[in-house]
Amino acid sequence: MKTVAVIFGSRSTEHDVSIVTALSSIIKPLELSGRFAVEAVYIAKDGAWYWDNKLKDIALYQSGGIEEFMRKAPKVHLLFDDGLTLVKSSQFAGRKMYKKIDLVFPATHGTHGEDGELMSILEMANVPYVGCGPEASVIAMDKVLAKQVTQADGIPTTPWIWFSADELSKTPSAVLAKIKGLKYPLFVKPAHLGSSIGITRVTEEAQLMNALEVAAHYDDRIIVEQGVSNLVEVTVPIIGNTELTTAYVEQPLAKSDEFFDFETKYMQGGKKGGKAGAKSGESGSQGYSKIPAEIPKDMYEESEELARAVYKSIGCSGIARVDLLIDSMAKKVYFNEVNPLPGGLYAHNWRQKGIGNVSLVEKLVDLAEERHAERKRFHTSFSTNYLKQF
Amino acid sequence: MAEWFVSMFSPTYGATIVYMLQSTEYQPLAYLQWFWRVKNFHSVAYRRSLDKTKAARLLLADMMVGMVVQIVAGIVCIVRGQVNRDLLLSWFGIWLVFSYPIIWAHLVVVPLVLGRLFVIGPRERRQIKASRTIFAKHPGVTIAVAGSYGKTSMKELLLTVLSEGKVVAATPANKNVASSHAIFAARLTGKEDVLIIEYGEGKPGDVDRFASTTAPDIGIITGLAPAHLDHYPNLQAAGKDIFSLADYLHGKDVYVNAESEAAKEFLQPSYVPYSESVVADWKIRNIKVDYDGTTFELHKGKRVIRLKSGLLGRHQVGPLALAAVLAMKLGLSDKQVTSGIAKTQPYEHRMQPRNVHGAWIIDDTYNGNIDGIRAGLQLLQDLPAQRKTYVTPGLVDQGVETEAVHIKMGELITRAHPDTVVLMQNSVTSYIRQGLEAGGFGGVVRIEEHPLEFYTNLEHFLARGDLVVMQNDWTDNYA
Repeated sequence: MKTVAVIFGSRSTEHDVSIVTALSSIIKPLELSGRFAVEAVYIAKDGAWYWDNKLKDIALYQSGGIEEFMRKAPKVHLLFDDGLTLVKSSQFAGRKMYKKIDLVFPATHGTHGEDGELMSILEMANVPYVGCGPEASVIAMDKVLAKQVTQADGIPTTPWIWFSADELSKTPSAVLAKIKGLKYPLFVKPAHLGSSIGITRVTEEAQLMNALEVAAHYDDRIIVEQGVSNLVEVTVPIIGNTELTTAYVEQPLAKSDEFFDFETKYMQGGKKGGKAGAKSGESGSQGYSKIPAEIPKDMYEESEELARAVYKSIGCSGIARVDLLIDSMAKKVYFNEVNPLPGGLYAHNWRQKGIGNVSLVEKLVDLAEERHAERKRFHTSFSTNYLKQF
Repeated sequence: MAEWFVSMFSPTYGATIVYMLQSTEYQPLAYLQWFWRVKNFHSVAYRRSLDKTKAARLLLADMMVGMVVQIVAGIVCIVRGQVNRDLLLSWFGIWLVFSYPIIWAHLVVVPLVLGRLFVIGPRERRQIKASRTIFAKHPGVTIAVAGSYGKTSMKELLLTVLSEGKVVAATPANKNVASSHAIFAARLTGKEDVLIIEYGEGKPGDVDRFASTTAPDIGIITGLAPAHLDHYPNLQAAGKDIFSLADYLHGKDVYVNAESEAAKEFLQPSYVPYSESVVADWKIRNIKVDYDGTTFELHKGKRVIRLKSGLLGRHQVGPLALAAVLAMKLGLSDKQVTSGIAKTQPYEHRMQPRNVHGAWIIDDTYNGNIDGIRAGLQLLQDLPAQRKTYVTPGLVDQGVETEAVHIKMGELITRAHPDTVVLMQNSVTSYIRQGLEAGGFGGVVRIEEHPLEFYTNLEHFLARGDLVVMQNDWTDNYA
């Protein structure tokens, strides 16, 4: 039986979302598959790593017991030995506990995890892992880079500009002048955060500075995007390395004057968007989606096609979710952003597509192993007499 | 052995013992058999915990007091033995201290046996005697339902349909032994048009006794299959007991499920067979099974009655048709019959459909016989789905037939062509696998070590388009 380490939490505004993703959508299905022994590795908000079976219990976090746990539990060391081994004190006679890891399933959202940092460590350790590699993760989690890369591949996006938080504080008038070229409504976003944290929809100039300051509070890079008229938002979950499989094109059910902030997505079960429009039994895990999206067939197919193109352009592998904006009158589809580790793996959509939770995590593990085997084909050493000549 | 011994000294041991008694319905023999089968008393209660009824609390308190007294007595013996240099007394004290879990696990049975012999037994005999008179004088039509399986469903079905036009009383839930019949009789008003009484056979001679007490006018035999074979020498003996209902009625007004393979050898020309194709002089046509129920037509000459029930499966058609025909015989109109059949819905854990994330689960976990397994597998074949999964731990109480029945079950599963078969690791798993191999099963076989964990997390395995049929579930005393 292979040992899979599920790493979650981390120094991120999406720390809590990550715990739920790990515990409900990854650890339990992996264990139920009967194929894997699962080790839970929790990265606390202060960045300390812990490894313990107790970390699989949601009650530990809900009750606040995690604080007590962290006070007593030994922290984890990582040992790179042509693979990854978890090491911690056994708290008995100075002995250490070791656990060789066969595969890592990252479940971190946002900064210090989903943004490629964790994947870089795993690359160094030469251990297979689920999901996008460091390069794709860095691009995907930087909304500015993602737009630049996809635009270079001819993928359409709405007009946008970006600037640094430093520019905003030192030369706000120059920043405002740059923004003047865009038409309202605008979306002001921190470049690196997910789950809609720090995002503001701005309908008039008077609201703009406040929105910029909110975004600058979370990130050092800010992106401002022009809104789409007659907007239909859709999202396309995708799995695969070279052969891609798309789930249903999913349509969040926000009113035209709203968008999905963190509160709507995770805390209200999608109440803002209203569940009433959702087909019975087909609402998303957070209760705010139509699956499949109720859009014309040509728009549906174009959305799938564009999402695949984005996935490939950014270099995603394993799993990702591509968010798109549709102008329903002009019948145009625009790339919005890409999420390299969708919350809850978007398991609700895959279930509708006919892939259950257990099958989904099994497929993702298989894809991780396939990519690792593929990368192992490449030589990383080259014999020279350079050192002898030195 | 060490694990077994050490686990008896756990603080929860007393509660575990009372839980075991409760789970075996305070049957001393079944409890003691289970007790000596347990390997670790920490791992007994998986499916539920002790229901703290008055009786359970009293038993637990008595046992705890007894245990404490024995431990104290043991310590006193050890101390006195040491003081008086009496080695025998010291050893006796040690024996007392370490033997209390086994001693009290057996002593706890004594009040049950004495209570049954001197209190409950005589009271029940008085009640049964009184009920004989009540049943004999009752002016209503009495329908007795007997069989190895399907009795409760048949009774509930009759109750639902006949209640459309008659005042009907039926024995509650699965209360189907003489003492339950007596309690039922005591509650009758005498104004009922129809009485429906379920006969739960447990040992040879039971059904004959029930019949002579309740004096039925109509008998229904729902089927014969290996069940309770730990109390009957063989299936033949069980059949003889069940068909003593027909003997009581002199073969008149006896309806027998003709789809029950084992019942066929007991059929007599005077009996009325019922099946998915015919009941008495009614023919059955156009059966359609879907997730929202079953539809069919009753034909007699030019007369046609179209019926729709919420019950799932072709195997339900025979009992439904019989209920309709009996209802007409007792004077209900076609409209009342149609309305009554439309009101029949799946009973809990009996072919009960549930939709989870677009996947269908058919919960038939109360099923416990090979004919029921056949019906569930037929349903698995009949219902449309993208992926089909069949889940079962196997059957209990199959006696000497255990191996043969489970090999047969494996072969039947193969013929239903599920994509995945999920079995629970237990004493019959290898026989089912044997049957699967013999049948050439080509799908996936999963063996689950922890059934409850699997059932609890079933939704993680499911996706839209799946169909899962779950048949039977072993309670803790069988696992």
